[in-house]
Amino acid sequence: MNCEYETQRALISSGLDARIFRWNLDVSELSGFDAFILPGGFSYQDRIRAGAIAAKDAIVEEIAGLAGRGKPILGICNGAQVLVEAGLVPGLSPGQVEMALGPNRTDGRSGYLCTWVHTRVSEPHRTAFTCAVEPGEVLPLPIAHAEGRFLTLSSEVVRALREEGMAPFLYCKPDGVVSDEYPWNPNGSLSSAAAVSSRSGNVMAMMPHPERAAWLSQVPDRIEGPWGRAKREAKGNLLRMKEAGPGRKIFDSLKRFLS
Amino acid sequence: MRESSLDSEVKTLRIEGVSDEEVRAGLDSLGLRLTVPEARRLFELLKRNPSRVEATIFDIMWSEHCSYKSSKRLLQKYLPTEAPNVLLGPGEDAGIIELCTHEGERYSLVVAHESHNHPSQVLPFEGAATGIGGIVRDVYCMGADVVAVMDALRFGDPDGANKNKVREVASGVVSGIWQYGNALGVANLGGDVHFDSSYDENCLVNVIAIGVVKEGEIERSAVPEEAGMEDYDLVLVGKPTDASGFGGASFASDVLDSQEWGESRSAVQVPDPFLKRILAEANKRMLTLVHSRGLKIGFKDLGAGGIACATSEMVAASGLGATIDLEKVPLDDPSLSPEVIVCSETQERFALAVPSSITSQVLRIYNEEYELPFIYHGARAVVIGKVTGDGNYVLQWGGSRVCNVEARTITSGISVERRSVEAQVSETEPEFSPPQNMGSFLLEFLVSPNASSRRPVFSFYDCEVGGRTVVRPGDADAGVFAPVDGSGVGVAVAADGVPSYGKISPYWGGALAVAEAMRNVACVGATPRALSDCLNFGSPEVPEVFYQFEETLKGIGDCARAIWQKGLPGVPVPIVTGNVSFYNEGDSGRAVAPSPIVACFGLMEDYSKAVTMSLKESGSLLFLLGARLNELGGSLYFQELLNCLGKNVPRVRFDEERSAVHFVIEAIDGGIVASCHDISAGGLVLTLAEMSMASAGSLGVDVDVLAIDGPLRYDKKLFSESSGFVLEVFPSEEEKFRAAAGQHNVRPTLLGVVTGEPAFRVREGSRPLIELSLGEMRARWEKGLENSLA
Repeated sequence: MNCEYETQRALISSGLDARIFRWNLDVSELSGFDAFILPGGFSYQDRIRAGAIAAKDAIVEEIAGLAGRGKPILGICNGAQVLVEAGLVPGLSPGQVEMALGPNRTDGRSGYLCTWVHTRVSEPHRTAFTCAVEPGEVLPLPIAHAEGRFLTLSSEVVRALREEGMAPFLYCKPDGVVSDEYPWNPNGSLSSAAAVSSRSGNVMAMMPHPERAAWLSQVPDRIEGPWGRAKREAKGNLLRMKEAGPGRKIFDSLKRFLS
Repeated sequence: MRESSLDSEVKTLRIEGVSDEEVRAGLDSLGLRLTVPEARRLFELLKRNPSRVEATIFDIMWSEHCSYKSSKRLLQKYLPTEAPNVLLGPGEDAGIIELCTHEGERYSLVVAHESHNHPSQVLPFEGAATGIGGIVRDVYCMGADVVAVMDALRFGDPDGANKNKVREVASGVVSGIWQYGNALGVANLGGDVHFDSSYDENCLVNVIAIGVVKEGEIERSAVPEEAGMEDYDLVLVGKPTDASGFGGASFASDVLDSQEWGESRSAVQVPDPFLKRILAEANKRMLTLVHSRGLKIGFKDLGAGGIACATSEMVAASGLGATIDLEKVPLDDPSLSPEVIVCSETQERFALAVPSSITSQVLRIYNEEYELPFIYHGARAVVIGKVTGDGNYVLQWGGSRVCNVEARTITSGISVERRSVEAQVSETEPEFSPPQNMGSFLLEFLVSPNASSRRPVFSFYDCEVGGRTVVRPGDADAGVFAPVDGSGVGVAVAADGVPSYGKISPYWGGALAVAEAMRNVACVGATPRALSDCLNFGSPEVPEVFYQFEETLKGIGDCARAIWQKGLPGVPVPIVTGNVSFYNEGDSGRAVAPSPIVACFGLMEDYSKAVTMSLKESGSLLFLLGARLNELGGSLYFQELLNCLGKNVPRVRFDEERSAVHFVIEAIDGGIVASCHDISAGGLVLTLAEMSMASAGSLGVDVDVLAIDGPLRYDKKLFSESSGFVLEVFPSEEEKFRAAAGQHNVRPTLLGVVTGEPAFRVREGSRPLIELSLGEMRARWEKGLENSLA
């Protein structure tokens, strides 16, 4: 928890009805919802590994059941760590934890990092959270994590990420060229993956925070590319600042998927 | 005060009829830092020997940290604290000013600022983390939601004699800030970081928290006066009490002695941001209940002095009393003595005074709805006592009254007169030639601890959480956020204070800290509306230190009055909160540099107008505001090139400074400024370099120092720290810009242009002084601070 309020605001801005579900409410109420977001922040003090304990929580168990029935589930940052620890992504072998989110480690910098990165979506139609993105579109998004490096020991998972498009968001340069180098890949993630989805695309774990980029006002004006330019051009125009930012597309995608 | 008795079996501290030596021995045996005259004064007040619990309470309440016994008189004398926009000035946990009206609802801004220096030196991680933990509680308990924090950090010389310890402290502090602050989910908008050898044995960790609350929902620390007539319960919420932080306030009111570090460690509290976050949510729920019933409550955080300080201040403020049963306090360790229970500074606790008609609902919110006992072993909300109408503060333990004193006597404090002797400064101005190769000197300069990019530190802070951030730390001189959903209002915040200025002149050190904080806020286009200050000094018992303290206050007060609020001539930018931290010195007995750290809070009606420091377009014009004068005393140039301080410290020319600040705000509001950065430590050349290095594209600058009037040698023009601004203006706006400047009596100097290639060019006429690739500069500048922290 921590990012639930801004995530709720971002969902509402995409025309969705969003409720915050407190951890100790009755889990049977969950089945009445159409989709679920596990927001960023921290859970259970991040003991053992980030997300490891929350992954065993009754809510997550319930959500896992609903994922099996095709309901869309998005985990953002700590929520992504929970989905990975719960084995919901990539989910090639049901019930198995096939990946981990390791501590950030690159030649340029290790440890916690809060910054903006560029991500590229190559095959938007594959997931419930990218279907409103243009193919090949570059979205600048903020990250803020210490453990965001997607890792696996399974060659099958590596193959699925590379060949089946199960890494829907890839870290890239401002021009969209995918790169493994710091600072473009900020944490050393496998295959430059910023997100990993399930094969059917209804479950996705992403490290960047789209809810912190849901409005143009939130985009830094020094960002390269069209979004930075849009921000600079909107200076002095409050109405334009309150228009959608790059992160809104994730929530717009969900809205489109549900309707 | 009235005489009030103790139960006969209660152990007392003997003061009456014994010698000074025996009193001292008695105080020492209880580990108290009260002086013998203070103990005798306590006897006069009580008209009897105090119990051990009472002596411990007064030890804390009369510490410099809680009582401001040396400083109060001077703070009142010099600092302007009133203005029409102030809703609550200094005195409670936080200050409050008007923010905006949105959809018929009036919002206010709550700010708090304090130090956590000694704990951070002893246990850097926990100390710095608890600093954030404490300051956010100060804002929460005004009924506000905390939306941003900032840290102003001062560390020793990372390459000096004590470098290993300095680096360990610096890394630990940064770690504590990010690990606690990020987990709490409050955006950190940066602040500032300075290195100076005077902090080798005593770092400074100042923390600032900012919150937002609807004006009608502001909660006060004081118990409502209704509590004299109706039944009010005192409720303690949060972590079970342990011995951590016992004596923390007294610890902050004495010199650090490394021999005692083992003992001092127990005076550092243990923070838990995860529990704090749940508490914050439960508090919101509790406040919703209170507001829906139209009830009044008292709400206060437990900081220095623990239960004793919080509850006595709550009731004394309304002339009321309390009876508290210490056996009701949930304990982490059942063997704790009553002195420890009542004064421990265990973190993550709040005290509430609520009408007994809602007590059971309040307890249910914390204990059942938010399940505190499940979240954290032993945490809960419990009734520990009642508010009473007789004004007496009574503590019960084991069936006896271990404290029975009029509440006002506990909180009214004491004052001491300190001797003040002018501190002689023997610095002189150096005679020297400029570096042979300015370019290679600049490359070295950019790596130095105080000139290099702060991003290696700021990138550990989550500046995005909450989704309200508009301008991030390092992108401009101030952080900007949008505090009210749906409204266009922006808040800008910055914190400043350059230690080397205060070493040469404490008066100008104080004035410059205020001026720079205001300039920083103006640079994004916001209007300064309030200030806070944390005054970090050595021992007030040293006359030269006390002189520095008084001079600094004069400088702060004069500047806050002279650069009055834009649009309100003569109305000062009020100092609404702050704190005094004395005894900042190490084993060697050397006090830290006089270190006022001033934060400025600025408002803008439309945050979409905010500008950053990065260059925007090739062909833009670069204007300088502010004369370059022979003011390199305390400059980074003297320190890096000559390893000396110099004498000619920058001065604030109040009228010119005010005109420039107000002009910049107006020009940005008018949309005629593309980027803006102030001139301070590092001078004009660092300002230009930072504007260039901050821009992402392939932009550079070409400027000519001959354009700058005055007889100064070129290197001094570049590195003088006389205050000023550099502004980028599109050629299409030049005419408007010059006309607006004329109206404000400001004379801008056209320095040069923004170029379309990533090169940094500084000329004197046709003679090149500096010609560097921005890529090379950026690589060095961005790495510099990492070298100092590792």
